[in-house]
Amino acid sequence: MLERDLIHTYLKSLAKYLSRLSKPEADEVIREIESHIYDAVELAQEQNGSADIEEILARLGSPRELAAQYTDHILEGRPLPQGFRSMQRIKRGASKGLMVSMAIMGFGFSLVLALIGAAKFIFPDQVGAWSAAQGNSVIIGFTDSVSPSSTEVLGWWFIPVAWLIAAASFYITRKVLAVMKVSMISAQ
Amino acid sequence: MVNNEENTEKWDVQLRKGSLELVVLAALKDRNVYGLELLKSLHQFESMQLTEGTLYPLLDRLKRDELVAANWVQEGESRPRKYYQLTQKGLDKLTGFTQRWRQSVSDIEFIINNPGPAALTKQGEETC
Repeated sequence: MLERDLIHTYLKSLAKYLSRLSKPEADEVIREIESHIYDAVELAQEQNGSADIEEILARLGSPRELAAQYTDHILEGRPLPQGFRSMQRIKRGASKGLMVSMAIMGFGFSLVLALIGAAKFIFPDQVGAWSAAQGNSVIIGFTDSVSPSSTEVLGWWFIPVAWLIAAASFYITRKVLAVMKVSMISAQ
Repeated sequence: MVNNEENTEKWDVQLRKGSLELVVLAALKDRNVYGLELLKSLHQFESMQLTEGTLYPLLDRLKRDELVAANWVQEGESRPRKYYQLTQKGLDKLTGFTQRWRQSVSDIEFIINNPGPAALTKQGEETC
């Protein structure tokens, strides 16, 4: 009973990882592997009186590894149609440019905010976040002519808030860049 | 000694990587066998200890490249099995591979058999 469960779980997992193939192709692979497993079990029982299912499955590799060998050609083996390579190259160039500007903007924003936060220590009156025109506009940063109609909203809280946002922006930029890098590599 | 064995195994894996296609095509020549049968027959040989996880995807690729053909056969009560045969294209490829293989082996043999200090030259073949 347990043996059947192990085999069933293995084949089900294999089917999941084969989803890149067309349904008939995937079914064919599963059918052959299933046939193999039961044959191997029978053979082992004939030879040793018992069969080690786990070993038989291990020799096939994990469902994921096995499936990868059947689906790899879909990712890399298929030759690109004429004209596609140059498109791919342009796309790659574009995403490289996009990554660089993304990095400059994201990290730059973090740096500026962090510096403004630090400047509050030195120029407590000139640095802060003001709400002007009854909350219709917000001014953040450096100013030496605070208009009388605007009110400072954060006070000393300005520093942790600015640093927190700087840190968040830094973190998000890094994450986004990592994702972009991965998708660029897999596009090659 | 253990280390040595490990190295031998690694070497076998490396060598097999390049030659497995030839091995499988050659083993299928004029035969009609299913996966496990082919695997068992290869396992009789010391340096052919490949795993199921390697063989089945390889057979799939050979089939996709039309070097082998496959069909499901059910004999009597037994469960259906997928049998493989060489196609004409596979046979041609096997012929080509066999030639290259023999050339490589004879070249390697020659290099092994002709150590220094004399310069390694192919002309040595005649004087040998």
